[in-house]
Amino acid sequence: MIKLALLAVVVTSADVRADNLLGARANWAEQLEPIEGHAFQKEDLQHLFERAAFGARSEDLTKWASASPQKVVRHFTRVSRRDASPDFEHSGVFDEGLDPFPPSRPATTRLAKSSGQALGIEVKPGGNRPIQPVVNQFFYWLRASRLETDRVSYWWANRMLTTDTPLREKIALFWHGHFATNEDKVRDYRKMLQQVELFQRLGLGEFDVLLVAVAKNPAMLAFLDAGANVKDAPNENFAREIMELFTMGVGHYGESDVREAARAFTGWNFSGLEFVVNPEDQDRSKKTFLGDTGNFDGEEIIDKILQQEATATFLASKLYRYFVRTELSPAFARELGKEFVELDMNVGRFLELLFLSKDFYSPASQGQRIKPPVELVVSTYRKLGLERVPGVPDFNVVTAALGQRLLHPPTVAGWSQGRSWITPSLLFERGNFVLDLVFPDISFVPADRYPSYGANIVSVQKRLRAGESISAATRPSGLGEGESMAASNELADQDEAFNTRYGSYRGWQMALERVIPIPRHTARLTLAREVEAAELQTPADAVDYFVQKFFVVRPAAGDLERIAVFLEEQLGSKDLPASSSFSEEALRSTLHLLLSLPEFQLG
Amino acid sequence: MDNLDKLQQKDTLVNPARRRVLGGGLGALALSSVPSVRAGEALIGQANKTANREENILVVLELSGGNDGLNTLVPYGDDAYYQARPKLGIARDELLKVDDHYGFNPGALGLHRLWESGDLAVVHGCGYPDPSYSHFTSMGYWHTGAPHSGEAYGWVGRLADTLAPEARANFLLNVAATQSLAVKAALHVPVVFDDPERFARDAYAHQRNVLEAASTRGATKDANATRQFLHSVARSATSSSAMVQEAWQRYSSSVDYGIAALDLPKVAACIDHGVPARLYYVSFRNNAFDTHVQQGPLHQRLLSYAADAIHGFVRDVQRLGHGSRVTLMVFSEFGRRLAENANGGTDHGSANLMFVAGEGVQGGHYGTPSDLRNLNAEDNLHYTTDFRAVYGSVMDGWLQGASAQRLSTRVLKGEYETLDLFG
Repeated sequence: MIKLALLAVVVTSADVRADNLLGARANWAEQLEPIEGHAFQKEDLQHLFERAAFGARSEDLTKWASASPQKVVRHFTRVSRRDASPDFEHSGVFDEGLDPFPPSRPATTRLAKSSGQALGIEVKPGGNRPIQPVVNQFFYWLRASRLETDRVSYWWANRMLTTDTPLREKIALFWHGHFATNEDKVRDYRKMLQQVELFQRLGLGEFDVLLVAVAKNPAMLAFLDAGANVKDAPNENFAREIMELFTMGVGHYGESDVREAARAFTGWNFSGLEFVVNPEDQDRSKKTFLGDTGNFDGEEIIDKILQQEATATFLASKLYRYFVRTELSPAFARELGKEFVELDMNVGRFLELLFLSKDFYSPASQGQRIKPPVELVVSTYRKLGLERVPGVPDFNVVTAALGQRLLHPPTVAGWSQGRSWITPSLLFERGNFVLDLVFPDISFVPADRYPSYGANIVSVQKRLRAGESISAATRPSGLGEGESMAASNELADQDEAFNTRYGSYRGWQMALERVIPIPRHTARLTLAREVEAAELQTPADAVDYFVQKFFVVRPAAGDLERIAVFLEEQLGSKDLPASSSFSEEALRSTLHLLLSLPEFQLG
Repeated sequence: MDNLDKLQQKDTLVNPARRRVLGGGLGALALSSVPSVRAGEALIGQANKTANREENILVVLELSGGNDGLNTLVPYGDDAYYQARPKLGIARDELLKVDDHYGFNPGALGLHRLWESGDLAVVHGCGYPDPSYSHFTSMGYWHTGAPHSGEAYGWVGRLADTLAPEARANFLLNVAATQSLAVKAALHVPVVFDDPERFARDAYAHQRNVLEAASTRGATKDANATRQFLHSVARSATSSSAMVQEAWQRYSSSVDYGIAALDLPKVAACIDHGVPARLYYVSFRNNAFDTHVQQGPLHQRLLSYAADAIHGFVRDVQRLGHGSRVTLMVFSEFGRRLAENANGGTDHGSANLMFVAGEGVQGGHYGTPSDLRNLNAEDNLHYTTDFRAVYGSVMDGWLQGASAQRLSTRVLKGEYETLDLFG
């Protein structure tokens, strides 16, 4: 174990030294030559851990204190193909017949009416609401897939927290935002999981391999309607986004290129979790794409895209903006693009170049990045020394409130980064997350057990159990006397063959039975013991200790003094060791105050 | 002139149907449990406010993803529509007809109701030169009000800076998960929140002074740009959250906004509470209207949500006594292609409809519909009205104060035709 007290002594003069250092490095911006040979400080190590990993624990800093920059960086960038982190544990919610899943409830009931079955469930031969079991199964899978997706998020977050190869998880997170797909549309947790595993496996490798794999990935094909792209009428969604968002960016191709590429991708489809090409849907005639004419297929289109200078510049800049800083000159962006090409578009090697460059350690690059929500949450847990992601607060609820729910990016463009993470409301949420962490909410209701979304099915259940008919129990409540229903409400109850709201209720019940619950343990902090072990003497020592542990940008002295005074008032004493039997609550309040400061958002 | 007379006078000018609707609305108000003193105040306030455009409020609603204008207000009198959309075209007898040429999608009942009461202006053929078919690029053009330029600020943000160069607190409000480019301003920090109940700093009593001090003092001089940004947001959050929360707690409504209210009740709550914002920005989020596949029932459902919410909002602000000073403008980043695709959907288009709704609006058709037989090189409609003309007409006709120079000229940095949307 490390001597924490020693650390605290070492850092006392860190601020002064850091200032001098940053002054000397002012001209390092946009310099790609290696930092090797220059002094590599504790602050540099912390900075590297913020960007290449999910923040540094004190033991990380001790372990790597005397290693060369190259050695530390390669520890992150050069990971073996073998992945030691545990695989996802399936609940077993998938049933035969659910895939392909129709695009909507009306499409499902139409299919049931015309063919006598849907989703692997037969229509009842007679009686009331003959299609109801099909509708139940439709809602069952909507709910079950969504709940299971929440478990996939937990699995992934735990990997981020505990992995020995954090950059593998971090680059997967980057690619998840780049090749954004959302479970709300894909509606199959298995495809979402498969895609995350793809990012983990190939994310640090060569971009061309990754791009082809993503283009053939069922979640992506489903998300961009590529599966419906057929010879007679190509669907442009996939072709457009692959050029605009995944590779070149707007301005480097024309509308006709979009149409021609869409024709080349015709017939690309998926069956379950497999990529398939349907030859009868393929358009094999000539296409003219980016100035060349030929019988191109999808892979040849991707090859052409990969050869464009714009592709390298676009990706190198995007990686740079994510891992280093948001502002860069056009000339520097082109330089990065050239370097990326020279490294065969190998993402790991390119990041290695960035992490070893003088630019990365220049003042312009340090302490300016707003931590994206998932990183904020995971790195807070890491720095606290947690060994698993708490169930309370719920990881998905917290990250959704902060604006980054895994497997649910807002649009095909992924999450906007940088300052977009912060609004007045979201800044509060970040502090509120810390409060929920240090003082868990005793009225917490697990979202995977209680139907907090969807139709008002709890009241449906209540009315059914009170003996009301299905029609009566599912009538929308809350309308005042003489008020008309809005058109969208009127639509809900029309078909006599089934009842949608009942299906929603029953589907939830079925999902609840089969999805494994998320464990609901809390963080179980022991700050008093930690402070005692570090042999801290005064409230000001404790505040400084937390600042060293959690911040890369030191908050203003006035704020820290005020918080130290707060701790003293809560303890009723300046004597920290003498307060150890009752200091836990006060220390947690103090930590909440500290981590609510604007500076905590920077990494 | 008292308020009721004024409304009725406008009725006779616009549409006889209006009288019926308003009569019902006022009757409902008298019978409701709203204390009579408050109702009386609201009516007096309203009469005073109509005289003063400087208290008027603009709400902008974005329909993200590219709403299919052709299937929103269907040109059923034009055979070219049915020829291009053999499967997706909506049959004449299903439409909510507005005249002998146009009818609303059956899901757009709320819009039809507003049309009937004379509270809805439809602007045809809105677009801009050399259109982009990228959601993000085109939405960026609509957000900045400056296509094909490097404009860094949003048009609503610039409008706020022009209306209040002294940078008023809580002047510009955006209900959203993340701030829209449209409200990005040089001088104003927009109030951005999603759930009003969560727009609060949770902390125990003994912590509050410390938190308040840290949030309001601003950044130190040596702080880097991102840190200064964080401090300015912290200060803005502290000044606005209590007001927004209180507005939401005091608000309740008997108006049916439908299944998805699109954050409009939050706007109504803030307006009624006297939040000093004159500009509000909300959206139908997450690219919802991007209906490439199986568009028919999906689009009808999305439209029903949007139309119900729009109708609900207009009626709700009337109920609350602010109908005469609130206007809602609705847009989408582009329309969709005239011809349907093989997947029962439509791909990205160009020219589209815009809507301007509210009691102050002179209902009816504006602009020139795009010619369905004369398409551009991408088989899309030619625009006939620059969307900035609509932005500008709303600024000048609804928000313009005593200043000699037109707002639109200052905000849009150009001159566009004027549509007389407000009678």
